[in-house]
Amino acid sequence: MSGKVIVITSGKGGVGKTTSSANLGMALASRGKSVVLVDADFGLRNLDLLLGLENRVVYTILDVLSGECRMEQALVRDKRQPGLALLPAAQTRDKSAITPEQMQEITNRLAESFNYVLVDCPAGIEQGFRNAIAGAESAIVVTTPEVSAVRDADRVIGLLEAAGLREPRLVLNRYRPQMVQANDMMSVDDVLEILAVKLLGVVPEDEQVIVTTNRGEPIVLMASPPPAGQAYLNIARRLEGEDVPLMDLKAPVNNGFMARIRALFSGR
Amino acid sequence: MQTLPNSLPTQVTFKGTPEGLRLLIPTDLPWDEVVLQLQQRLNAGERLWQGGAVVMLEVGERLLDGQQLRTVEELLTAQQLHLIRVRTLRRQTAVAAAVAGLSVDQTDTGAEPVPPAISINAEPLYAQTTLRSGMRLQHPGTIVLIGDVNPGAELIADGDIVVWGTLRGVAHAGAHGNTKALIFALKLKPTQLRIADRVARAPDDVPATPQPEVAYIRDNAIHIAYTTEFARRWQL
Repeated sequence: MSGKVIVITSGKGGVGKTTSSANLGMALASRGKSVVLVDADFGLRNLDLLLGLENRVVYTILDVLSGECRMEQALVRDKRQPGLALLPAAQTRDKSAITPEQMQEITNRLAESFNYVLVDCPAGIEQGFRNAIAGAESAIVVTTPEVSAVRDADRVIGLLEAAGLREPRLVLNRYRPQMVQANDMMSVDDVLEILAVKLLGVVPEDEQVIVTTNRGEPIVLMASPPPAGQAYLNIARRLEGEDVPLMDLKAPVNNGFMARIRALFSGR
Repeated sequence: MQTLPNSLPTQVTFKGTPEGLRLLIPTDLPWDEVVLQLQQRLNAGERLWQGGAVVMLEVGERLLDGQQLRTVEELLTAQQLHLIRVRTLRRQTAVAAAVAGLSVDQTDTGAEPVPPAISINAEPLYAQTTLRSGMRLQHPGTIVLIGDVNPGAELIADGDIVVWGTLRGVAHAGAHGNTKALIFALKLKPTQLRIADRVARAPDDVPATPQPEVAYIRDNAIHIAYTTEFARRWQL
């Protein structure tokens, strides 16, 4: 088997790289794919927390590289989705503990036995970023509709293209339709006009994401996932090559009777 | 060590000659940055290289090992450009090049004499790319860019700047003091405009229906006009 190696990156921190990695991994696994999530954030690892697998981490990437353990021993199998595994980063080391060549070796080996190898990239554009993209054949850039996040995403897309990762795809996270309609937030079109890349999906802002993240239960696992979870499930389908239309992101008309009357007259 | 021949620019630069392309690599740019810039320049010019063109690499005092030479050669080959010769002042680089099967020119500078600060006659640079945040394109002549200049990117030309796209970043025309230099863009929404030693912020009121605009210096300040009106008024 030769799986796809995809790096999930953003430049700016806090826009939802790790949350997106966890949810996409889980969503792909729930579709019957074998998925391994590689945490490339040495020294600041979080992916195990988000997946609720922290207490099952024994070995890390470094132990595999040093021959301390076999790859199979380092992989943490998910308790809910047997198709999902995590290769943890070393928390006690920093980004210089591994080279791009070693990272490439790891992802190449994983691609032999998994359908998807998702690499969760650290924030920034330094060594950690160069390590994370080394073995990837394509990239997903996560951003939020804020000028600073979009600016950093733009920088990262430039670096990805220069590194031969052409046509990265975009996940627009924490989108708030109400604010966009009130002209207080950049719209999908505003962001795409600047970044000029293919859109993979838009994830609406949702408090449930924070709740599920804290519990270590990615939102896509919920019995009937709210729109944010549905968005990740849709992104997983698009990664699989399905043509899934974007969700209707118009602000819901939920402000009661008067609002509906007003909407009627304003022709919306 | 002898002083550097300052004919080498601070950026990775291609120059066209009747015999082929000259690829100039600056002496003190970090290698990672050299590779990045070379890749960006190659991507931007993709459509324009004539397949099979030959390239002469000029590295001056810079030391290159066999691996680095191979990297350059691979990047060029991917665009159907053939590296045939290396011009260097360092023996080690010459040896590495010879081992790689390239012809070597170890003479002194060899390059033409250092051009004067303002080189209006430098051939225009034609590039097709999106100039993204953190990228900087610098050229001792006029720059024609097919694509957008995003916020955080810089375009610096000794001559004019023509952006066939949206200019959102910083553009500096006439960078060596030419106050007659112009900046054109299909959509002009810059972070900042500079012509010669003048600086201007972007106008706050962006026209609802954008038209091609031009920035120029008149009465010691930068002005902006619709290109059509500018042409009529100033007989462009």
